[in-house]
Amino acid sequence: MSFAPRTNPVQRAPGLRPEPGTPLYVHVPFCVAKCTYCDFYSVAAEGQDLPGALDALLLEAERRAPPRPRTVFLGGGTPSFYSVDELARLLDGLDRWSHFRASAEEVTCECNPESLDFPKARALRELGVDRLSIGFQSLEQGILALFGRVHDAEQSFAAFHAAREAGFQRVSIDLIYGVPGQELARWEVDLERVLALRPDHVSAYQLTYEDGTPLAAQLQAGAFQRLDEDQELAFFEATRGRLADAGYEQYEVSNFSLNGQQCSHNVNYWSNGPYLGIGPSAVSKLASTRFGNARSITPWRAALAAGRFPAAWEETPEPSVRLGETWWLGLRTRRGVEPAEVLRTAGFEGSDPTLRLQESLLELGFLEQSAGRMRLTARGWPVADAVARRFLEACAEQTSPRLPRE
Amino acid sequence: MDPKLIRNFSIIAHIDHGKSTLADRLLEACGAVEKREMHAQHLDSMELERERGITIKAKAVTIWHVHEGVRYQLNLIDTPGHVDFNYEVQKSLQACEGALLLVDASQGVEAQSVANAYLAVEAGLAIVPVLNKIDLAHARPDEVTEEIESAIGIDATDALRVSAKTGQGVPDVLRAIIEKIPPPVCSPDDPLRALIVDAVYDEYRGIIVYLRMFDGTLRVGDKVEMLGSGKVFEAIELGRFLPKMQKSESLGAGEVGYFISNIKHLGDVKIGDTLALHKGAKVEMLPGYRPPQPMVFADFYPTNNGDFEKLRTALETLALTDASFTYEPVTSDALGFGFRCGFLGLLHMEIIQERLEREFDLDMIQTAPTVTYRIVKHGGESVDIHSAGQLPSPDHYEKLLEPIARVSILIPAEYIGPMMQIAADHRGEFIRQEYLSQTRVQLVYDLPLAEIIYDFYDKLKSATHGYGTLNYEVKGFHENELVKLRILVNNEEVDALSTICHKDQAEYRGRATIKKLRKEIARHLFEIPIQAAVGGRIIARETISALRKDVLAKCYGGDISRKRKLLEKQKEGKRRMRQVGNVDIPQKAFLAVLGDREGDDAK
Ligand SMILES: Nc1nc2c(ncn2[C@@H]2O[C@H](COP(=O)(O)OP(=O)(O)O)[C@@H](O)[C@H]2O)c(=O)[nH]1
Ligand code: SF4
Ligand SMILES: [Mg+2]
Repeated sequence: MSFAPRTNPVQRAPGLRPEPGTPLYVHVPFCVAKCTYCDFYSVAAEGQDLPGALDALLLEAERRAPPRPRTVFLGGGTPSFYSVDELARLLDGLDRWSHFRASAEEVTCECNPESLDFPKARALRELGVDRLSIGFQSLEQGILALFGRVHDAEQSFAAFHAAREAGFQRVSIDLIYGVPGQELARWEVDLERVLALRPDHVSAYQLTYEDGTPLAAQLQAGAFQRLDEDQELAFFEATRGRLADAGYEQYEVSNFSLNGQQCSHNVNYWSNGPYLGIGPSAVSKLASTRFGNARSITPWRAALAAGRFPAAWEETPEPSVRLGETWWLGLRTRRGVEPAEVLRTAGFEGSDPTLRLQESLLELGFLEQSAGRMRLTARGWPVADAVARRFLEACAEQTSPRLPRE
Repeated sequence: MDPKLIRNFSIIAHIDHGKSTLADRLLEACGAVEKREMHAQHLDSMELERERGITIKAKAVTIWHVHEGVRYQLNLIDTPGHVDFNYEVQKSLQACEGALLLVDASQGVEAQSVANAYLAVEAGLAIVPVLNKIDLAHARPDEVTEEIESAIGIDATDALRVSAKTGQGVPDVLRAIIEKIPPPVCSPDDPLRALIVDAVYDEYRGIIVYLRMFDGTLRVGDKVEMLGSGKVFEAIELGRFLPKMQKSESLGAGEVGYFISNIKHLGDVKIGDTLALHKGAKVEMLPGYRPPQPMVFADFYPTNNGDFEKLRTALETLALTDASFTYEPVTSDALGFGFRCGFLGLLHMEIIQERLEREFDLDMIQTAPTVTYRIVKHGGESVDIHSAGQLPSPDHYEKLLEPIARVSILIPAEYIGPMMQIAADHRGEFIRQEYLSQTRVQLVYDLPLAEIIYDFYDKLKSATHGYGTLNYEVKGFHENELVKLRILVNNEEVDALSTICHKDQAEYRGRATIKKLRKEIARHLFEIPIQAAVGGRIIARETISALRKDVLAKCYGGDISRKRKLLEKQKEGKRRMRQVGNVDIPQKAFLAVLGDREGDDAK
């Protein structure tokens, strides 16, 4: 895989302790089969030592889990791939080392339709999970096949109903759109069908061709053509529009909530807050340092078994970089950012290097200001990255130019 | 050392005709280097030279050779082969009594060899014609002999026939050096006089000066004065390049060697200066060199404003060994503080630019080159200008003149037609045509220098499939109907993109320039108009549409570091960009005003 930010050998991370309340992320690295677009770290479960990995997760939780996390997120991979017994062992263990059941206001578990039925949903509910995120991805069979998904639309609906039956109020649905050959009209119909379920949350992602994935390789090889910029824009706009009509707030580029049911765990990422991740490839951010665990199971387990810190990389960006980063992340959200607060979060001292940029983006109509906060306008959303690059740039150019001697 | 046993010579050759290979063979034949050390070409030391296969700085190597029982000192002074470096050639020739004229027997005579051979003839050097690569099946030595005779006007009937590759004929070359090239004319008993032939900067030892001794003897410990600069130094170390440095207690009249005095200040050594004993008898300065006028100008701006001083120091260092290169501080609205640099030609410019980047690790924005223009004001006063930005509005001057060059083009006869068309397209005035042999023709034109730097040379190369060569010499200034072509990006004039051109070409060049800019400038958050104008009249317009969709779908805790780096990488290319009126203009765009130059895409 392409991700190897060997910025620095791990130095600071082992000494950093999470504050009580720090959000906890747990990475379960197994799936039934690998999807063609996916660049998360996970492996097909067949033949893998599932119980052994579970022991390792619990060992890591024992050593590193934050006390009383505000939010917990079981991601992956496919956490629902674990059996009811394994899930019980995992969640009981996590609670033992973090007491999340008493503290967390939100406990999410990612599920895939093929592995979520009523008994499992009920078990998750009883084990302290209060929010499910189900990977529908698409209702079109052709697209599911292109993606290498192992379920069909019918199973997705069944999984959703199982969640509801088990008493989950908070259920999110993951969708991917903008697929080569996909027709906008068909997507709108599919979106309609999903919204008819009235999930309290939808994550709708424009298809991304991540480096190193089979899908990106196929695109490169000319197996299909990606939608052009105008088509992608049309999908993006139609998606936002349709969800808005149905009462969903676009609170982040790809995330929509009904009745304010945002995913607090993810909102923390966009405000550049701290978090602690356990499991292979999981990333943590404590103080100003972000660090990532070894990306595959074997070295991650080996490190834990040997009593070593399992991180493989870390980075502590300069305050100027953190400033640009905080703007970038914050502008992905509807809430936007408060410039003075960004300076504080980033620990940046000195005058704000983004002032002129803010002004020019306001003037050009990409940013708007309300109640002291800056956020992207309807024009700004589709080009959020271009805006972000300008912020990263403005912050990076912090080295004050020396005037030449004459 | 008896001066009669010294031979100082250089090799005149077109690029790739085998000068470096022959030099290696000569060193090897005399046991100066072991065969196994020979894979590298010894005279071209700079990394850049090796990559481009051309020789930039003259270097001198001493070869000890026993001929008929007598030991001779042969000093090979290296010369560059490109049209831009006539001046360097001249420098080398002044330290020699003879030159090998090395011609590839399959390629034949090229314009440069002709020009350089003329220089050698003018300098009164003995010329030894050598046909190289006779091992090649398609070598045509008889015809090439004829070409040498008709192009240079020397008797080439007994031109040596060698293969630098196989070594065939190399002993004959050594014999000819001793028998046909006269020993130096010098007086060992007169007061010391030596010519500074070259200099290189060594971080540890200071400046290493290459000397050609004329009169007297120089000894370690001597106090010497550089007559031109008046600086005084002590000879701390003397020696010769064999090609490795070998120390010597003294250098005698007629010899070539090096001099070290821990000189750290670059301005203290002037190539072409004369060295004499300090407080010794008064001596005349040696003729030295005519520093040539730079004819092509371009501005260098550090990408990072903070690098201005670093750039200044780097330019100083380069100017040390290259008196033909000039620089002066300038400012531009678009680009900030930088230097306007003067060069002999385009290759010279490219080499300086690359050396700045490689050797001094500088990142720069370079403007498109321009020639020197001359305006004659109403009062009759004339002023030279080196950029379109300096051109006042037309009511402030009476005449605008541009430099004209006499261009000599050597091509295979079958390309005469297309070549004449290209010359006509570039405002060339036909002077004459001459057949050098049945298959090779020399065309002579007068052509504005601006056309040569625009794209004439590249057109010539592609029209003749690389077989054509040219040489030129600036003759003077002529009045022409020239206008300033202004380029506006997002409604702001970009001074660094404006040029001067002939009025009939303004529209075509304006269009070509903005088309290229359209390709070079990335899309922004807003639409960007690009216009070309003459005076207040817009003659061409292009539009760069705004970005419409550019946003990552997913961004969670696990991807933040990586995705930030991705965004940073996308802006990475911006290191070499400048902002003009909110628009990022990349370095390449500043060269867009050049014609369709080869290699544009490779850069
Ligand atoms: N066949 C053949 N090739 C040669 C001979 N001399 C040089 N070359 C080749 O011609 C090319 C240019 O030679 P080089 O010495 O670098 O030329 P320079 O540019 O004049 O220094 C190289 O590839 C040499 O190997 C020769 O006598 N015969
Ligand atoms: S199920 Fe999810 S984590 Fe597993 S491969 Fe597919 S997209 Fe990736
Ligand atoms: Mg060479």
